[in-house]
Amino acid sequence: MILAVAVAGFRERRRRPAYAVVLLAAVGLGYLAVPAAGSRWTIVSLGGYRGVYDSAYTGTVCALAGALWLCVGGFYVVRTALAQDRATGVRELLAVSRMRSASYLAGTFLSNLLVLGSMAGALAVTAGLLQLARGESYAVSPVALLTPFVLFTLPVLAITAALAVFWETVPGLRSGFGNVAWFAVAVVGMIAAQSPTAPLGGLGTGPVAASLRDAMAARGLSSTEAAIGFMYLDEPPRTFGWSGLPVTADLVADRALLVLVAVVVAVLPALWFGRSSPVRSSGGPVRSAPADAGYADAAPIPYPRGAVRANRTFARLVAGEARSLLAGVSRWWWAVAAGLCAVTLAVPTPTVTALLLASWGWPVLVWSRLGLQGRDTGVDALLGAYPAGRARLLAEWVAGVAFTAALGAAALVRLGIAGDLGGVAAGAAAAAFVPAMALALGLVSGAPRLFQALYLTLWWCVVNGIAGLDYLGAVAGGPSPLVVAATAACLVATAYGAATARARRR
Amino acid sequence: MLELLEVTKDYPNRPHAVDAVTMRLEAGVLGLLGPNGAGKSSLMRIAATVTRPTRGRVLFEGTDVVARPDVLRRTLGYLPQDFGVHPHLTAREFLSYLAAAKGLSRRSARERVPQLLELVNLTGAAKRPLGGYSGGMLRRVGIAQALLADPRVLIVDEPTAGLDPQERVRFRTLLSDLASDRVVVLSTHIVSDLETITDDVAVLAGGRLLHRGTLDRMLSGVAGQVWELSADPADVPRLQAGFRVTRLVRTPSGVRVRILASAPPDRRAEPAVPDLEDAYLGLVSAGVRS
Repeated sequence: MILAVAVAGFRERRRRPAYAVVLLAAVGLGYLAVPAAGSRWTIVSLGGYRGVYDSAYTGTVCALAGALWLCVGGFYVVRTALAQDRATGVRELLAVSRMRSASYLAGTFLSNLLVLGSMAGALAVTAGLLQLARGESYAVSPVALLTPFVLFTLPVLAITAALAVFWETVPGLRSGFGNVAWFAVAVVGMIAAQSPTAPLGGLGTGPVAASLRDAMAARGLSSTEAAIGFMYLDEPPRTFGWSGLPVTADLVADRALLVLVAVVVAVLPALWFGRSSPVRSSGGPVRSAPADAGYADAAPIPYPRGAVRANRTFARLVAGEARSLLAGVSRWWWAVAAGLCAVTLAVPTPTVTALLLASWGWPVLVWSRLGLQGRDTGVDALLGAYPAGRARLLAEWVAGVAFTAALGAAALVRLGIAGDLGGVAAGAAAAAFVPAMALALGLVSGAPRLFQALYLTLWWCVVNGIAGLDYLGAVAGGPSPLVVAATAACLVATAYGAATARARRR
Repeated sequence: MLELLEVTKDYPNRPHAVDAVTMRLEAGVLGLLGPNGAGKSSLMRIAATVTRPTRGRVLFEGTDVVARPDVLRRTLGYLPQDFGVHPHLTAREFLSYLAAAKGLSRRSARERVPQLLELVNLTGAAKRPLGGYSGGMLRRVGIAQALLADPRVLIVDEPTAGLDPQERVRFRTLLSDLASDRVVVLSTHIVSDLETITDDVAVLAGGRLLHRGTLDRMLSGVAGQVWELSADPADVPRLQAGFRVTRLVRTPSGVRVRILASAPPDRRAEPAVPDLEDAYLGLVSAGVRS
């Protein structure tokens, strides 16, 4: 029964377009993990050294990169399994079956793990191909290549799959807020899991780093640092030979225990999770329909003839898009946004840009609706027969720009008053860029999570001072506002292309 | 006014979902009948410019609306079988947004939205979020949006699904009124829905157009082929295996069986007056066999 739920869930999700995007992302991650010999980018820092690209080293760095990034990003891929079952009515069918909640949750956990595991599989295949492509060693050892994936990636992905189930069973976490909460939890968790003293081997960095250091020491080299992330080196790293991590019984036991913990985390919510109760499973009380006046009982009304068309309706379209974008946003959300604006007006000028960054991190869940509202609500079934589809798409973007600009207005006014016209231009370009990114990613992937994950990563990079990715002028030396605005234009064009392609597929 | 010429739709997993259908539509109601999977919805979506045909043309007053869909969309009312709404918007806000999307002037939208809400008797609920509406109320919002542009072509797919019997009667009356000077295409698999509203019927099965014409012509196709007999319940499986049984009614003395056959199926069988359901089932079963 558990296996049936798992396989059905996996089949359903692997047939979605987003799954192909996810697999491509896994391949891209492998490409980043094994850069060309002359590259200065690395995701494993060993004091300016790296291992020769043989099966052991290539497999290990790809496995560690997978454990890190598939954990952070993969969560967003699998976190709607229970919500999907509810939306499609599958959960109601299961609720009247003999299946217990624990079995259902275990099956969903396994389904999540299959999705994440297939991403790890794509990454492993990429690792093998990149080993050959880089040409430093042509001897492919499947055991050396795959063992790190089994020992490091899969247990971490099991924890991710379990937490995705857990998140969906906790009322406060199953909403969009849960996506943001996960990003924060994952960032902190990943830093802690890289510590040599992390419980059950953490991410796996500790034992791997120790083994790599031993290999370096044997060759008279030394390194005090060992970290994974995405780092830029002053010079391309030099190489040394490494035969791989010795697999000990303790290590295997630790990783098996991690998988066991994952199973417990996934099944634990059976204590409070109700499969059939709409009140418990929707996160709020079910509203009853308003009293129906009774269409048939009413006196017949003559049909009103005559409708006048206008040439200019764009402003009303923008207003309508803005209304549907913002309808349902809670009061406490607006209170925080208003608070950020108020603080921005009060702080000293040098702090204004930092507050602009905060103001434009807050609406990520609202932006992520762009491009998806019509599809998610089913309104697209009506709009498909309405004229001016291009104008509607443009209106949706303009509504997003107006919303973004309104949230950043306090900061932009302050920068303008201070004479920082460059800052104003950068802010204006960012106000165009962020909704364009949301619209394009929403239409391309068909889900809000790709934007949520990528935008938060981009925003986090800017918070950490990476100038090359600074889209709002917060860090000196970032791209010019013209480049950001041009990127926004390209993203709007991409959104239009994706919408057109979708319409043609109907 | 609206012409479908050799329209074909192939889906990757379902080739010939619509197979070379040609139809010319003038003012009046055309009832589109067919079993599930017959291609009715695909054909409606093509006529409504939502789906592009794989082959063939759709002309509206001579304009190819596959190439220039907005020509029809400006004056089209379309109610699909399944649709959604923005749950946090009120009916008034939602219809106002759709009126702008349809290209109505601000003034016209301000007039028509309350008028149409009154027409579908939702004035009292107009300021409530749509997320709290019942299925029947949402269906009526769908009907109101289809009428926003005072359409010259109205395409409605299973419009009475979710409406109670009285609401169905009222909606059929509205469609009859509208059909006096505009094209109305109504798709349904409830045969009785059509009898009271139109004489012009098209029957689709397996993507092909099996019949286009009057109800009388459809009925004449099964004249002398409908039989009824009283049978023992134990006899029913044999009759079902050997003949096209269109109806079974339990009676105190056994089962009244209605059969479609070119010759009397049994010595006890008596000829019966054909109805639209017999004619429809006769057409579809013949179409499926061929």
